[in-house]
Amino acid sequence: MNTNSNVYTIIYTAVVVVIVAAVLAVAAMAFKPMQTANIKAETLSQMMVAAGLGTMDEFQEIGNDNVLVKYSENIEEAFTVNLDGDKVADLRTDKDNIELVDNFKPQDIAIKNHGEATLPVYRFKSGATVIPIYGAGLWGPVWGYIALDKDYSTILGVYFDHSGETPGLGSKIKDDPEFQAQFIGKSFNLENAANPFDIVKGGAPEGDMHAVDAISGSTMTCRGLDVGIDLWIGAYSNYLVKAAAAGNATAEASTATEE
Amino acid sequence: MSKLKETIINPIFRDNPIAVLILGICSSLAVTVQLNGACVMALSVTIVTGLSSFVCSIIRNTIPNRVRIIVQLVVVALMVILVDQVLKAYMYPVEKQLSVYIGLIITNCIVMGRIEAFALGNKPIPSLLDGLANGVGYGLILVIVAFFRELLGSGTLFGMQVLPAGYEPNGLVILPPFALILLGCVIWVHRAIYKDLQEK
Repeated sequence: MNTNSNVYTIIYTAVVVVIVAAVLAVAAMAFKPMQTANIKAETLSQMMVAAGLGTMDEFQEIGNDNVLVKYSENIEEAFTVNLDGDKVADLRTDKDNIELVDNFKPQDIAIKNHGEATLPVYRFKSGATVIPIYGAGLWGPVWGYIALDKDYSTILGVYFDHSGETPGLGSKIKDDPEFQAQFIGKSFNLENAANPFDIVKGGAPEGDMHAVDAISGSTMTCRGLDVGIDLWIGAYSNYLVKAAAAGNATAEASTATEE
Repeated sequence: MSKLKETIINPIFRDNPIAVLILGICSSLAVTVQLNGACVMALSVTIVTGLSSFVCSIIRNTIPNRVRIIVQLVVVALMVILVDQVLKAYMYPVEKQLSVYIGLIITNCIVMGRIEAFALGNKPIPSLLDGLANGVGYGLILVIVAFFRELLGSGTLFGMQVLPAGYEPNGLVILPPFALILLGCVIWVHRAIYKDLQEK
């Protein structure tokens, strides 16, 4: 048989491609459940790291199942809110049916179009409230979780992640503990919902409570993160202001009873 | 030494793909900061090289000569994606750490090099062994380099503290240039052992 004829070559390559595609499709379906479980456990770990309940290494050590247990033990309530700051629905938090809103892309579009966004809020028993942010980095999406104190504006901790920022430069938003540590103790300026926080190239002004330093060599990644934080915190601002007011009311009521 | 034994032993020591063929340098600089990552990378490359050589050897007589590189590429890509999927399912943290380098195994010259040079002219079983042995040879260098880089750069081995707490980790060792220096030293030792490889 002439293996160098045109007809043979075309048929041969077509058959090879079809076989390879079939094998890959089967493999992708077979591994899907385990990969989804891994991603879920990772998402929960990142939220708990932001809330100060442990480190990423610790959560990797204890395994997926224990991460789910730890989350359901520590969570007070989880629910979604709309752009007006009103509660939309509860998210389940029992170990076997943990519900998350972890597909940020449609929410991001809804925020930009002032549409029907359902933004997740995770309140931990420690008093920390964890909310996600999402933006466009240089090579792909960047996202993260921010833990807020009981006043709903002071930052207790953050965890950022990315899908493919440059290793050693943009990837530092995730890998550089010093970058993430800068956020602790800073706060969001909720009165300015369009720009509640800044990541400043060349260094944040001394004493500015609503800004941190950007990473040198990662201008685009930091800018994307900054825009993402502004957009998402802006979207949450109605909820955060309402929740803070409600929190103050409860606090006053309880002091009144004590008196 | 029998021919089969040579096929297995030579690529690991005398004809090591990194030390003699100087293939696969890029990834060996990138993934050798920690032993853990280096070991998984070594294992992944070994499996990909072995299986790709095996499959290409099976179909070697049917491949149209004009598109043979493309067909090899498809086979290698298939193996790489399968390895990536398995790692994502079972070793997720390691997969995230190795990130793009798993996907980039396809561009590792060792894989295509062994298929072109060996698998297309030999039977499937020797091709499989040749592929695996070259992967092991690559992995051996990776582990040697990663051993020194993790020990001197972080004071740890497999993430466990081995050097006393007073040791100040050397930041230079973590950076890729030091991996190149270390690789040079490995090749130097290799040439000293196999004197016939020295260029006059």
